[in-house]
Amino acid sequence: MMPTDARIQELLHWRLRQAEAEAPLAPSAAHLLALARPWWEALPERFQALVDRLRQIQVAYAHAQADPRDFRAGHPVPALIVRAEEELESAARLLYLEVRNGRLRLRFQLDAALEPAAQALDVTFIPESPMEAPFSAHAVLSLDQEYHLEGELPEGVARRWEGWKVDQRIPYRMILRPGESVG
Amino acid sequence: MTFVWFWTFWHWSRESFRAGRLLRVPLLGIAGHWDEWFRHEVSEDDRHAIEEAGRTERGQREFILWLRHHWAPEACGSHNRWVTRFVLRQLTQVPPFNDWSALAAYRTGYGAPGVRAIVLAEDSSGEPGDVRPMEAVALPLEAGVAAPAVVPEGFQASEAELNTARRAAMSLLGGRGLFVFLALWVAEGRRPYARWVHFALSAGWLGVIGLISFLLLGPEPGESLLPLSVALLILWGALLATSMAVISTHCFRAWREGRLARARLEKSQVRLSMNIGLMLKGGSAGLAFCLNMIAAACRAQVGVPRRSWLWLRFDHALRTTGASWAATGVITADARVQSVVLEPKLRACFEEARIEHVITPRQREAGRRFVERLSRSHAPLRREYAPLVPSAPRLGFAAERRRLKCHAISHAAQSLLAIGGFKSRWQMALNALAGVASLVLLLALPDLRSILLPPPAPDLVAPSSSSPYYLWVSLDTLFPERFLVVLESGFWANRRAEVTRQEGANPSLRAEIRLHRLVRQTTSDEEDGTVWIERRRRFLTREFAPGERVGRYSFSHVSRLGQE
Repeated sequence: MMPTDARIQELLHWRLRQAEAEAPLAPSAAHLLALARPWWEALPERFQALVDRLRQIQVAYAHAQADPRDFRAGHPVPALIVRAEEELESAARLLYLEVRNGRLRLRFQLDAALEPAAQALDVTFIPESPMEAPFSAHAVLSLDQEYHLEGELPEGVARRWEGWKVDQRIPYRMILRPGESVG
Repeated sequence: MTFVWFWTFWHWSRESFRAGRLLRVPLLGIAGHWDEWFRHEVSEDDRHAIEEAGRTERGQREFILWLRHHWAPEACGSHNRWVTRFVLRQLTQVPPFNDWSALAAYRTGYGAPGVRAIVLAEDSSGEPGDVRPMEAVALPLEAGVAAPAVVPEGFQASEAELNTARRAAMSLLGGRGLFVFLALWVAEGRRPYARWVHFALSAGWLGVIGLISFLLLGPEPGESLLPLSVALLILWGALLATSMAVISTHCFRAWREGRLARARLEKSQVRLSMNIGLMLKGGSAGLAFCLNMIAAACRAQVGVPRRSWLWLRFDHALRTTGASWAATGVITADARVQSVVLEPKLRACFEEARIEHVITPRQREAGRRFVERLSRSHAPLRREYAPLVPSAPRLGFAAERRRLKCHAISHAAQSLLAIGGFKSRWQMALNALAGVASLVLLLALPDLRSILLPPPAPDLVAPSSSSPYYLWVSLDTLFPERFLVVLESGFWANRRAEVTRQEGANPSLRAEIRLHRLVRQTTSDEEDGTVWIERRRRFLTREFAPGERVGRYSFSHVSRLGQE
């Protein structure tokens, strides 16, 4: 029971002691460093398993076109949607792509309908070349199955992305994790 | 230039598409493009102007009107009001338009209700919610820019299925399917006559049948045969010419407008909207897709007055009563309709109070007996009506059982006929009457021709008979069946004989009369007698009294012809 006739100052000291007694220990510097690391460094085995599966997804089109109109269909980017209960192989169609001042702005649509639709996605870009490092960005739901993403590109990567158009094939694959934020 | 910010956005969108930063053409991806522009590209001034425009409902309405009357014609080169509706509906999904109250009407749909599709939810045995409202709009694509031909909104379906429905729609608008539709309309379809014209034509055809019956079965017409034949031919010709003129005019107009609509559909992207959030398995919604695509193509015509009564009537019927129609059936590219699982779908239609007509494939479950049995087994919904005032008298509901009309078809053209309300039993009966009358008259035309334009009188030619027991009367004519030969004699029995083609040693067109002496001869001269050539007057199986006598020869001349 809290004493009712204590002075305010004593009450505050008492409350502080209580809070200190209940508070968890301050994280160590090593733990803070671990939290700052990207998830693929924190969980390398899991990441490697996902990458292996992602690399097995085949989404290349074989054109048996019946319609003579050669419309701009774009190239699907293989995507692996990692949810708590399942992993879903899909593809993302890029709708908008711009790189300006080292920042990537991307809009994409998922082929597979997510039920329920994820309001946000942590997008990890996995380069097809094993020499390059992955990077991630945060995407939010904009329209029906359409996600919008904006993020800083790593140095060196931005220059390559600047030359690409939305309907070109980009040498990346994506791991999508619903509801998580970057870092 | 109140809404210059929208032009700024539009030009950014066009330039980005041209530069390869945007995948979709500016019109078709307008919602996503706006979202991108509004998040990152909009200037402070523009953002302020947009806020100003959306601050009051009046400002929002002004924007809608400006979009319809100024932006759409200039940006898309089209007065097609569905373009504006599409743009507004797309914009309602993104800020700040998602908060604009004036756009509330555009959030629910395009305002183009069409034939409903019957799509069963998983494990459903036929619920009212399985009859799904559907809308379709055709958006014109700029020249040189192409995009997917059909885009489903609110559901997922295989591209192949949507394209098959589109090909069927194009066939019905300007291909083989259209000819099936026109043939069906000619056979059993209502005509655009005024009521009095309809009665006059019916009376005319009854008159033709009456005249034919009189000529076949009535009393001997005598001298009236010629005027009766003239009247019959004139009446029949006038009726036939009227029918042919009406049919050919309307078929031509339907073909011309159908072809334009087909071209429009080819150059458009059809947005099929069905807000169910399901992935369709199976192709039973194909017929509904096809019918709604046709409706979209018809509606997209602007600026040109429509002259085809057939398409106008179909379009009007769909606009006014389309929501009371549901359709199910797998459709092929040539617009044939194939069978589906029907019983739960019919049950769903019985449950859905707004549905009055359902179009189904022709199959056992679509038969009248089956539907009647299903209707009887279907228990009407029982509603509990609590009186608003405890002392108020309770109402007794004596509503009769709702009737659902089932149209079983094997070709999608039949559904156009059904929706347009073209089917007319009276017209079918009249067509049957006209068909029978015309067939009879075509068969009787040679007879009528010989009555109206008799063939020239024939000459008497050799050979004559070498036998003393026969008299041969050979005639030089191309129409032997139109003449009779009559022997009148005081010595020989009088005879009347047909002229026929005779083969053998002496072939000719002749009448052969066997000579018999009279019991009571008025003369002893064996060569006494006159041979007459008479015209025959016939109408199919009926032989009238002989007509004009066109030749007179003496017995001696005929019997010796060619033997001197």
